[in-house]
Amino acid sequence: MNKGKNKKGYQHTLAKMWNYKWIYLMLLPVMVYYIVFKYIPMYGITIAFKDYNVFKGVFGSPWCGLDVFRKIMSNKNFWEAIKNTLLLNVLTLLVSFPLTIIVSLMLNEVMSTKFKKISQSVLYLPHFISWVVVAGIATNLFSQQGGTINQILQSMGMSSIPFLSENGWWIFTYVVCNVWKEIGWGTIIYLAALTGVDESLYEAAYLDGATKFQRLIYITLPSIKSVIVTMLILQISKMMTIGLDAPLLLGNKKVIGVSEVISTYTYRLGIERAKYSDSTAIGLFQSVINIIILFAADKFAKAIGEDGII
Amino acid sequence: MAGTLKKKKITVGKSVNYILLTLLAFVCLYPFLNVIAYSLSGYNAVLSGKVTFYPIDFNLDAYKQILGKTQIWNSMNTTILVTLMGTALSLVLTIFASYGLSRDDLPGRKALTGLILFTMYFGGGMIPTFLVVKGVGLFDTLGALFVPQAINVFNFIVMRTFFKNLPESLEEAARIDGASYLQVLVKIVLPLSLPIIATIGLFYAVGYWNTYFDALLYIQDPDKYTLQLRLRSLLFGEELNNSGASLEGVGTQVMSKSLKMATVAVSTIPILVVYPWLQKYFVKGVMIGSVKG
Repeated sequence: MNKGKNKKGYQHTLAKMWNYKWIYLMLLPVMVYYIVFKYIPMYGITIAFKDYNVFKGVFGSPWCGLDVFRKIMSNKNFWEAIKNTLLLNVLTLLVSFPLTIIVSLMLNEVMSTKFKKISQSVLYLPHFISWVVVAGIATNLFSQQGGTINQILQSMGMSSIPFLSENGWWIFTYVVCNVWKEIGWGTIIYLAALTGVDESLYEAAYLDGATKFQRLIYITLPSIKSVIVTMLILQISKMMTIGLDAPLLLGNKKVIGVSEVISTYTYRLGIERAKYSDSTAIGLFQSVINIIILFAADKFAKAIGEDGII
Repeated sequence: MAGTLKKKKITVGKSVNYILLTLLAFVCLYPFLNVIAYSLSGYNAVLSGKVTFYPIDFNLDAYKQILGKTQIWNSMNTTILVTLMGTALSLVLTIFASYGLSRDDLPGRKALTGLILFTMYFGGGMIPTFLVVKGVGLFDTLGALFVPQAINVFNFIVMRTFFKNLPESLEEAARIDGASYLQVLVKIVLPLSLPIIATIGLFYAVGYWNTYFDALLYIQDPDKYTLQLRLRSLLFGEELNNSGASLEGVGTQVMSKSLKMATVAVSTIPILVVYPWLQKYFVKGVMIGSVKG
C-alpha cells in the first residue's frame, strides 16, 4: 500500500518534470554558467593548500598543507592590508551611516514634490558614475598642483593641502569620495520606510503639543528603527569586504601605507606577481571571516528581535 | 487648529532644511559642473585655475581634439559593444533563471535556487576565477568582460519576486489553450514585465559601461581597451597608480587639463542620457530587492 503510494508519487513527480521540460531547458544555461564561473573556481580554492605550479595546473600541483597560510600570516603586509581595510570601512561607515539617515529625514520633511524629485535625482546621480571618472574628478579637485580646491586656498593666502599624497589627508579624501558617491543612493531605503510611518501618530502628537523635534525623536525614529538596525548590521557584516576600484584608482605610491587594502593586495600579489597560491589563500581567509561575521550579525539581529539578514 | 499640520507655513526650520538640501544637491552636482566647465574653457583660464562651475573663454577646442583621437573612439565602440552584448546575455539568463525558479511546484527548485543564492556568500575569489576565464579561452577577449559575471544574484532576486507576483490565472489560461512555457514566457509574461526588464537591463548596462576592474584583469591588447581603461591611462598615465599592469603601448600622453575633462565628460554623457529613464524605475527595483534580499 505504502509502496504503491510512493510509486505513484514518484510517477507524479516525473510527469510534473516532463510538463516543465521547457523550464528545465531554460534553467540549463543558467546552471552551466553557475557551475563554470562560480563552482569550478570554488574548487580552484584548493590551490591555497598547494604549491601552485603553472605547468602542473590546479590538479597536478603538489599539496603543501597549510604552508601558504603560514607564509601569508607571517607577512607584515598582509596584516597591514587587513588593518587598512577595516580602517577605511569603519571610517566610511561612521560618516556615511548617520549622514544618510539625516539626509533621508531632511528629504522626508520636504513638502514640495517638485523640489523633492529634483533633489533626489541629483543626489542619486553619483552612484551611477564609474570610479575611474570619480577618481579623475577627485584629482581635478584635490590635487596639490592645480587642483581647484588648493588653487582657491592659495588665492586666499593659505597653504595647500596634500589631499592625495599624505596618509591622513588621503583617508579623508577617500571617505569624502565614497560618501559623495553613495549618500543619495543610501537614502532610498529609509525614504521608503518613512513613507510607511502612520500619519495619525503625527496628528495626535501635534495636538498634544509635541514640538517638531519631539515628534522626530518619539515617532519618526522609532518607526524606522528596525530598518536602521538591519542596515547597520548589514553594513557591519561587510566590514572585511572592500571594492577594488576606489583604493586602486585613488591610491598612489605615496599613500600605499594606507591605501593598500585586502582587494588591492590580492590583486598585486596574484596578478602582478603571479603568486597564485598566496593570493587565493588570502581570498579564502577573507571569505571565511566574512561568513563568520555574517552569521554572527544574523544571530545578533535575531537575538535583539529584528529580522535576520540571511 | 485642527489640520494645521498640513498647512503650508514657512518656518525657520523649513527654510534651513531647504537651504541645506539645495547645498547638498549642489555639492553632488558641482564636480560634474567643474568637469564640464574645464572642458569648455580657454587655455589660459585653465592654466590659471580660475575655472569653477562655469566656462571661462568658452570654446570647443578640447572636444574637437577628441573627435580626432581614434583611440578614444575605438574604446567607445568596444564599450558600446560590450554593454550591448553583456546586457542582452545578462537579461536572457536572468529572465530564464527567475522565470523558471519563480514557480513553487517545480521539482528541484529549492536546490537550484540554493545553488544560486550560495554564491552571494561564498566564491572562488580573484585568482581561481581568473584561471577559469583563462582556461575556457576568454582571456584577452571581450567576452571576458561580460560572460563570467552574466548573472547578478540581486537582480535575479528582484526579477523572481516580480514574476512571483504576476497573476497565475493568465498563465493557466494560456496553458489550457496548449501554449508551451516558452510561449507563455514570450507572449504573456514578458510583455507584462517590461518595466522590471527595463530597470534590470539598465542596471546591467550601467554596470558594463562602468566596468573597470574586469577590463584591467582580463584585457591586455591595447586595441581592445574599454573606455574606462583608456580613460584611466589618459587621465593618470602611470604615475598616480603604481599598479603598472598591462598599460604599455598606450603611451602616457601628457594631456591638457581641458582635454582630460572633455574625455571624462564624453565617457559620462551616455550615462547621463539614460539616467532619466533609469530613475523612473530603479527606486521600486531597489525596494523589491532589499525586502527579499
